[in-house]
Amino acid sequence: MDTREALNPTSMTIRWDTYQAESVWDELITKKGRARKGAKNLCRVLAKLSDDELLARKSAAELAIRSMGITFTVYTGEGSGSIDREWPFDIIPRLILKKEWDDIGAGLKQRVSALNRFIDDIYHDQEILEAGVLPREYIEKSREFRSECVGINPPYGVWSHVCGSDLVRDIEGTMYVLEDNLRVPSGVSYMLENREVMKRIFPELFEDYVIHPVDDYPDQLARCLRSLTEVRSPQIAVLTPGIYNSAYFEHAYLANAMAAQLVEGSDLVVGADDYVYMRTIEGLIRVDVIYRRIDDLFLDPEVFNPESKLGVPGLMRAWRAGKVALANAPGCGVADDKVIYTYVPDMIRFYLNEEPILPNVPSYRCVEKDQRDYVLDNLDKLVVKPANESGGYGMLIGPKASKAERREFSRRILANPRNYMAQPMLTLSTAPTLIDVQAEPRHLDLRPFILSGKKIFVTTGGLTRVAMRKGSIVVNSSQGGGSKDTWVVDFE
Amino acid sequence: MSHRTLSSSAKRTYWLGRYLERTENTARLVSVHANLLMDLPKRLPFGGWQPMVNITGSRTLFDTLYDRTNENNVSRFLINDIRHPGSLLNSLKWARENARTLRGIIPNQAFEYINELHLFAREHLCEPLSRTRRVAGLADVTEFVQRIEGFMSANLLHDAHWNFLRMGNFIERADMTSRIIDVGTDNLLESAIELAPFADIQWRSVLLSLNAVQSYNISVQEPIQQGAVLEFLFRDPRLPRSFLYSLNSLRNSLHSLPRNEKALRSVNRMRRHLQNTEVHLLTGEALHAFADTCQKQLAEVHDVINRSYFEFKPRRRPQRTSALKR
Repeated sequence: MDTREALNPTSMTIRWDTYQAESVWDELITKKGRARKGAKNLCRVLAKLSDDELLARKSAAELAIRSMGITFTVYTGEGSGSIDREWPFDIIPRLILKKEWDDIGAGLKQRVSALNRFIDDIYHDQEILEAGVLPREYIEKSREFRSECVGINPPYGVWSHVCGSDLVRDIEGTMYVLEDNLRVPSGVSYMLENREVMKRIFPELFEDYVIHPVDDYPDQLARCLRSLTEVRSPQIAVLTPGIYNSAYFEHAYLANAMAAQLVEGSDLVVGADDYVYMRTIEGLIRVDVIYRRIDDLFLDPEVFNPESKLGVPGLMRAWRAGKVALANAPGCGVADDKVIYTYVPDMIRFYLNEEPILPNVPSYRCVEKDQRDYVLDNLDKLVVKPANESGGYGMLIGPKASKAERREFSRRILANPRNYMAQPMLTLSTAPTLIDVQAEPRHLDLRPFILSGKKIFVTTGGLTRVAMRKGSIVVNSSQGGGSKDTWVVDFE
Repeated sequence: MSHRTLSSSAKRTYWLGRYLERTENTARLVSVHANLLMDLPKRLPFGGWQPMVNITGSRTLFDTLYDRTNENNVSRFLINDIRHPGSLLNSLKWARENARTLRGIIPNQAFEYINELHLFAREHLCEPLSRTRRVAGLADVTEFVQRIEGFMSANLLHDAHWNFLRMGNFIERADMTSRIIDVGTDNLLESAIELAPFADIQWRSVLLSLNAVQSYNISVQEPIQQGAVLEFLFRDPRLPRSFLYSLNSLRNSLHSLPRNEKALRSVNRMRRHLQNTEVHLLTGEALHAFADTCQKQLAEVHDVINRSYFEFKPRRRPQRTSALKR
């Protein structure tokens, strides 16, 4: 993988020779301080830039982000609730070779196919439970299992139409799937915008490299959504909780890019004929496909949370009657559970009769006694995760936790073992990230998006999120995380 | 798959138009009235501020909030009293709130301008408001709103949303024009015979508040006097703040919208009523009654717009019970 040619350390403002990548796996630089295959040109171009030029590119990126209005919303928890911030972006891209990406893409397709088979099975014959591959009580005790969905047949047996899987690379360079976000994953608009910004500020790099485009995503999404209905020229709507939602920017972005209608629950009404209509100045217009970006429990106050002001009364009835397609389908979260996750390799074998292409992060299930004992004895080395939280909530990061916190987690695990799983603490891979005018390694992950409808599609690359604080592995933008453009490149 | 205009966003654009226009009108009204008072005798009842409260139709609220009608209380009530829903600061707040929820429909820049104006007004028109600060602050607000409207006119897609924005503007504008004219009928001057010499000054002030003195001179070419001013402000189709101009603009906007029959009928009824009235002859009670009818008819047009586009009842009522509840 490594090129033998050392980078010239003279006349550089980014001093690759002092870049510290010995104790990590870095995406661009080898442990010996050389550029990885494919990264040589990039490193060379960056090294040619003076401090001033680098800063000029950086502020060009900031300007582009401001003028393109790329924001994300942070909840402040005060009276006003939330504020918009400009999207944090690092100008050094992350590179992945096309050859490696092809394997990852195949692995993701395989994985999501199996997950969709699993969800469909759970709401029908439950063969996987009959076969004893997965204990029945896991499903019975799942917070995300929706009895209202039993027996429903969404087109192609697909429940999770838009999936965002988080990939991490460990210190050996192995790419693992950390989790699959099957419900309402977000971030794809930032993947698209990152590329736009990059084209504006480093046009010359696009001449040196064959970088696979990402901007067909909205078309692919529209195609996927259209495949869910038999209506010739369907009306598609993106259902958002509204402007105060942290991902509102993305909802508006995607609706706009697909020429779909951005609606809130109050814009929709279900008729006595079970069709869904939106209120427009022309009167009621039928909606055929809804890409919903609100959680199951808020979808329909008649069926789920009766307090929900975000949802549409009768929406579940319309969906069950096949009068409207919902993406993602309600109930698909049953597979988006960190304990169920540990069974994905088994699902791939069970449903597809194939060996998994992409590995899971090794995981321990607290519900099984021997594994639980191991977890309880090794809390200081493990990361413990609850089954149904997202965004890093309710986790124990053993090596960084206090004794009292670990004791508290032992208690929680013993009280409800079904709700916990544990994984070894991974040292995430790094990539050079511009801190002032120097490149420093920062940990990152990768979220590709997988679309499933009549066909299955994987983005080339995805959204790379970076923990901007030194040594941190928290990549969430709400907690100081940044992002990078992700280049899948051909390299001969 | 084609793009539709949602009732909810049409409604917010319409109200954005109304609140922006109301902000500007309130600022004009207060500055011009204060200016007028400098030219009038000092022994007017209530210091001459009584009509300002009547004009907004919020006499009852004012009386519950204040025990005296004077310059301080009235200008506070109209400008920065957040307890008064029609105060300038509240109008701006609601303009901002509507603009905020229209992101993706109006340019981000427009929201930023409105936001900036709101911040400006909160800072410069806050209490205690000296006369000097008030004069400067209101002039800035008027100018700021005009810049925003200019920006929107030049940058918004002139589609259905645009038409709703304009309808909001013009309903509000027509309403304010009729209210301002109505001040001419207020007992401020007519009751006191010794104030008769000042009547023309008052009509000049009415023109001023509509920024129409120069236009009057060009168009009417007569000294400023009641009959000609009424004719000009009600019926000159070239004056952008005349009542007829607003009605014509409403009609034009409605023409490019679907399901416009009822609203058009309503607007046309008003135009006929205006044409059939000899407005230059109106005085005293008759003028007051006419202005009152105009405001009521505008309220009807608003209701029709509201019922046709925003709050219409679905023809197919959703069922109350769910098949899923077991």
